[in-house]
Amino acid sequence: MRIGLPKALLYYYYFPLWKTFFEALGCEVVVSNETTKQTLDNGTKFMAPELCVPMKICSGHVAELLEEKVDYIFLPRMVSIHKQETFCPKFLGLPDMMRYTIPGLEEKMLAPQIHSHTERVSHPKDYLILREPLEVSLQDIKKALKQAEKVWCDFRAYSKRGYDIKNATDLALGQVTEMELAEKNKNPFDISIGVIGYVYNIYDKFVSMDLLNHLENLNVNVFTFEMLDEMEMEMELNDMKKAMFWTFSNKLLGTGRRFYHDTHIDGIIHVTAFGCGPDSFVGKLMELESNECHKPFMTVRVDEHSGQNHLQTRIEAFVDMIKKKKNALKTQKQRRA
Amino acid sequence: MIVSFPHMGSPVPYKKIFECLGHDVIVPPVPSQRTIDMGVKYSPEFACFPFKVLLGTYMEAIELGAKVIISSGGHGPCRAGFYSEVQQRILQQLNMSVEFIIFDSPNHGGYQDFWHNLIRLKGKSSWFHFMRSVNLVYHMIHILDQLERQLEIKRAYEVVPGTCSKTWEKIQEDFSNLVNVSKDLKAIENLSKERIEKINVEVPGEDEKIRIGIVGEIYVVMEKNVNMKLEEKLGALGVEVERSQYLSHWVDYNMIPKWIKHSHEEAILKKGEKYIEINIGGHAKQTVGHIVDYKERGFDGIIHLMPFACLPELVSQSIIPRISQELDIPVISFSIDEQTGLANNLTRIEAFVDLIRNKKRRLIYNKCVAGL
Repeated sequence: MRIGLPKALLYYYYFPLWKTFFEALGCEVVVSNETTKQTLDNGTKFMAPELCVPMKICSGHVAELLEEKVDYIFLPRMVSIHKQETFCPKFLGLPDMMRYTIPGLEEKMLAPQIHSHTERVSHPKDYLILREPLEVSLQDIKKALKQAEKVWCDFRAYSKRGYDIKNATDLALGQVTEMELAEKNKNPFDISIGVIGYVYNIYDKFVSMDLLNHLENLNVNVFTFEMLDEMEMEMELNDMKKAMFWTFSNKLLGTGRRFYHDTHIDGIIHVTAFGCGPDSFVGKLMELESNECHKPFMTVRVDEHSGQNHLQTRIEAFVDMIKKKKNALKTQKQRRA
Repeated sequence: MIVSFPHMGSPVPYKKIFECLGHDVIVPPVPSQRTIDMGVKYSPEFACFPFKVLLGTYMEAIELGAKVIISSGGHGPCRAGFYSEVQQRILQQLNMSVEFIIFDSPNHGGYQDFWHNLIRLKGKSSWFHFMRSVNLVYHMIHILDQLERQLEIKRAYEVVPGTCSKTWEKIQEDFSNLVNVSKDLKAIENLSKERIEKINVEVPGEDEKIRIGIVGEIYVVMEKNVNMKLEEKLGALGVEVERSQYLSHWVDYNMIPKWIKHSHEEAILKKGEKYIEINIGGHAKQTVGHIVDYKERGFDGIIHLMPFACLPELVSQSIIPRISQELDIPVISFSIDEQTGLANNLTRIEAFVDLIRNKKRRLIYNKCVAGL
């Protein structure tokens, strides 16, 4: 049986888990191609114009998979992965939105409802509805989930050690070894920038316009939210009277605050996509705090009309500014000494 | 306390309850272009429209001397529940600090805060007086909504344009000035009914009547100053209107425990289940449910209102074309924000009503021909 996984949204966070899970159940996993302009244009055809870019991209990937002749397309309804928190309403309504707008999807969609208290979304109860279409038993699902959970935990551990999502995924799935990666890793540079943004924005090279590589080419160390420990993020949010309702937005805000207080981080870039609701609040809170913490903060907003050149210019200017500031501080210190 | 509150529908009930409890009430000016401009200036660009209007309203209230702002909260996933947290920070930065009293549902473990807020609201009055005031306003909300619904139907057929709107203003004034204890309610209700009776109407035959339901996000559906006074516009075009959101429904659904009273809303949610499986926040599922409900009750068309980039309503907006097709009912969707052009929207509304009217006439004509 061929299961299609759209390379969009939480694919970037849960791919190791879902891939292992379906392969353990004896299915072949078909992943859609990297996002291109074509993908987004395709998605825009189906979705309401006001929807956010990641959702449009997702529908583009789904449409692509439908042409690939897969048996099913996996589009989980992500409700919650943290106690008392949920996902953005668009995630909650994603399967409904997709099946009523993309023709031919309804019969092929596998949409289990993920309602978990932990990030390890491997509670067999959530996947029960897969029994019939995949012709497997509860025992099979339990076994497969156990295996998948282990791989995913490895993946998270690699992330927390500083590997980016792509490398961490490859490592967890055993496609490369740490030795090979270590050779590629260069010496750390003297400027560090924290990039905050959802996985499907910063790791989708089309959305982020390859921001991470751009930064690396400018000799900057890059840190992202999934490299931080959950405890650290939650600590940062303790003083808020009310936390936000969206798990990943809280993570971003927690990470952002951590970066503000971390003396090793020299500046912060917020990558957000057109029409992202939670980000409008995260961005504003970060902006307000930037004034208090005196750390440079920049927002990069992307939509379907974005061009690459302006981004290059802005990022170069941002990095140059930080470098100058840092050098000026250094010479000041030397003079004083 | 000098308290203020955001507008949503008629301000009378909000004003009344705070007055009854002995607070000085500042009714902020109704949302105007100035309110919107002020709100937009300091809000995040992609915040939803109610956030911006509310921020503007708060700023105007603070200018008038408000010290405390009372509003409702929420627990997501819709952004509305987090408004006050961000608005507080923005106002702080503008040196317009003000105390917020936000009522979150106590069901999410916030009993202490809820209790604390209640005591703040109660002020110096006794618990007995507090309960009596709540009771008064609760019944007032229900009566006002019933009266408004009568007017929404009558407005379509009024002989002198604008009579219904003027009557509604008068009724609100009466309730605001003359009702002080529960006993007054009945008398004023009768007085209002008489006022409504007096309106001259010319009611056409059943075949000529057009009914349109307004569905969507609660704030833009209920606050006529941000939704282009849609009900009045439709009334002027000779259309009977019913809204999906009334304050009494909201109160029944959100404040009254289920074991006391089953609210109308639950049945509506059930009807929306086919299209949106779970509650995704805001009023998306109600929107879908109401469309099904209006179709079942023989309405001729639906107008869907949403704030620009509203998260839950975007889901319902995406599904609406399919519902419209399956149920064979015309639906038009308006997304409202600070850029809303009135003339453009009015043209769309007129065209929509014309289409519905023509469709209805053609159906009746076809029936007559078949009957011959």
